[in-house]
Amino acid sequence: MALVLKGVMQSPVTPLKDDFSPDYATFERLVDFHVRTGATAISWPHHKAESHNLAITERKALAEVAIKAVNKRVPISIHVSALALEDTFDLARHAQENGADAIIAITPYFWKYPPEAIYNYFVKLGTSIDLPLIGYNSPSYLDGIEFTGEMTARLIQRLPNFIGMKEASFNSEKFFEILRAALPLRPEFAMIAGVEYLLPSVSLGGAGSYSSAGAICPNLCVELYESCVAGDWERARAAQYKLSELWLLFRDQYPSSLKGGCVIMGRPVGPTRPPLPTASPERVKFIEMRLIELGIVDSEPHGW
Amino acid sequence: MFKFGLVHAPLTPFADGRIDYDTYGKVIDFHVCNGAEGLALPMHTGESVSLTAEERKALAEFAIKRAGGRVPVLINVSEASTAIASSLAAHARAVSAAALICSVPYYWTPPQSMLVEHFKAIGQAGGLPLFVLNSPAEFSEVEFASKSVVELLGKLPHFVGLIDMSLDWQYMIEVATVARAARPDFQLVSGNEYMISAGAIGATGMLSPLASISPKLVHELYGLCRAENYRAARAPQEDAAILFRLLRDCGPAGLKAATKAMGRDCGAPRPPLPELLHAAARALAAEISKVVSVKAEPRGWA
Repeated sequence: MALVLKGVMQSPVTPLKDDFSPDYATFERLVDFHVRTGATAISWPHHKAESHNLAITERKALAEVAIKAVNKRVPISIHVSALALEDTFDLARHAQENGADAIIAITPYFWKYPPEAIYNYFVKLGTSIDLPLIGYNSPSYLDGIEFTGEMTARLIQRLPNFIGMKEASFNSEKFFEILRAALPLRPEFAMIAGVEYLLPSVSLGGAGSYSSAGAICPNLCVELYESCVAGDWERARAAQYKLSELWLLFRDQYPSSLKGGCVIMGRPVGPTRPPLPTASPERVKFIEMRLIELGIVDSEPHGW
Repeated sequence: MFKFGLVHAPLTPFADGRIDYDTYGKVIDFHVCNGAEGLALPMHTGESVSLTAEERKALAEFAIKRAGGRVPVLINVSEASTAIASSLAAHARAVSAAALICSVPYYWTPPQSMLVEHFKAIGQAGGLPLFVLNSPAEFSEVEFASKSVVELLGKLPHFVGLIDMSLDWQYMIEVATVARAARPDFQLVSGNEYMISAGAIGATGMLSPLASISPKLVHELYGLCRAENYRAARAPQEDAAILFRLLRDCGPAGLKAATKAMGRDCGAPRPPLPELLHAAARALAAEISKVVSVKAEPRGWA
């Protein structure tokens, strides 16, 4: 249970072939690319990996590929959230049996339920496995269903393997409430910003972030994290402002535009499964123009 | 150029249903003597929405005279109507206010293009530095979009900054990015006391309602954040967060109960806001007194 998460952690997209089937070979290369370009951990499949558009069997097969590709160079967590919780428990068992280092799970989708149901669910999930568990808070995408500070504290007291939180409210109050409830009980508890909003989160005491743009600009992500940790706030602001512009570019129909951007960087990862659109040639052209304007094409690795 | 700094948001005392100017004078002096670099009034915590336009003008005039040049006074001219807000803005200038604060209109939800026109008209009528107040949670989720910020910058030289109460990192960073590109000295101001994250993002000012209770705490927090010493700022930030959350949902009534417990009685809020019931006020005061830093805060009007 000595897993301590920090830094810029990468959650790869899921490369697809033109017929929308999983592209295992490119997936291995992508995972390897992230590890070689500074990822402090890998986590898959977040929503940007089209988790909901993958069959459970595909998720298991790809998880095995990812775990092998990482090959213990950094920790890897498997995102087990699914619409039906039976699938989540199944994916969690599978992750454990296949050598993952942790699992990550969001509050259950769609339904409206009382806070106590969140607590009961995470207790059940956390005690169903021996792996470390990372929570995932995303109130704006889940209509206000969220972890509170108090609930986080109760879960930490109940679950020795509850080690961190992906926090995607991007809201100072919500982020800080969970952080200040958690750290006195478990000082190494990792508050991880949902995408690389490291400037406001690290300054508040956060441990790092998952990344939206890591497949596009790993150097910029690492620079932002390092300047935040060093307290070089001017440099951090410059990097954060640029990453914010990229997030605005990629956020819409996420991860369609992100996959479009990968084409420009010489690391094509194929189309996006419906109902999400695949970035059109015009959209890719626009993304290319923005990546050139922001200096990304010149300062980041091209190809694998 | 007008620099926002640490600005306190005073409460508005009432007695027998009218503004209690005797007490208001003490309120102004209290803030001036306890670390305010400026005063903003009447904000929502000062029950701006419950005051008539005439009362707001009289209040502004009184406060500016009482401050007597010791600190600048910013006047909140937020209104539902562009014309009424503009008349408040013109009055603010006539009585020597330092700057204007204005939110999106009450009740209406006009398109962004009309929001730009709204602020432009008010800014021109006032002829003073204008800070737009962004507080979507209080305005049916209407926010002043970052592209509108840029548009207004092109139309109104007096538009100098934005006060954010959303606490939303995506919005704040977006505004900081596009507004600074258009005008490098554009000021981002935190509209509440979550100053660490706001400061890291690039906020240089802070508007503080909690200063009515804890002027020392907000002064320490603000100073450490301006020095970008965020690690040291975390302790005062914790206390500020606890107070913020204790008071957030009870509005001016909560702040008035809390300041009364600190020996500064500002009376009851104006209807329709109810005064906190005795038991609720006692419970709130008890919770506030558990916050360690509150023990060092001034009691009474000193």
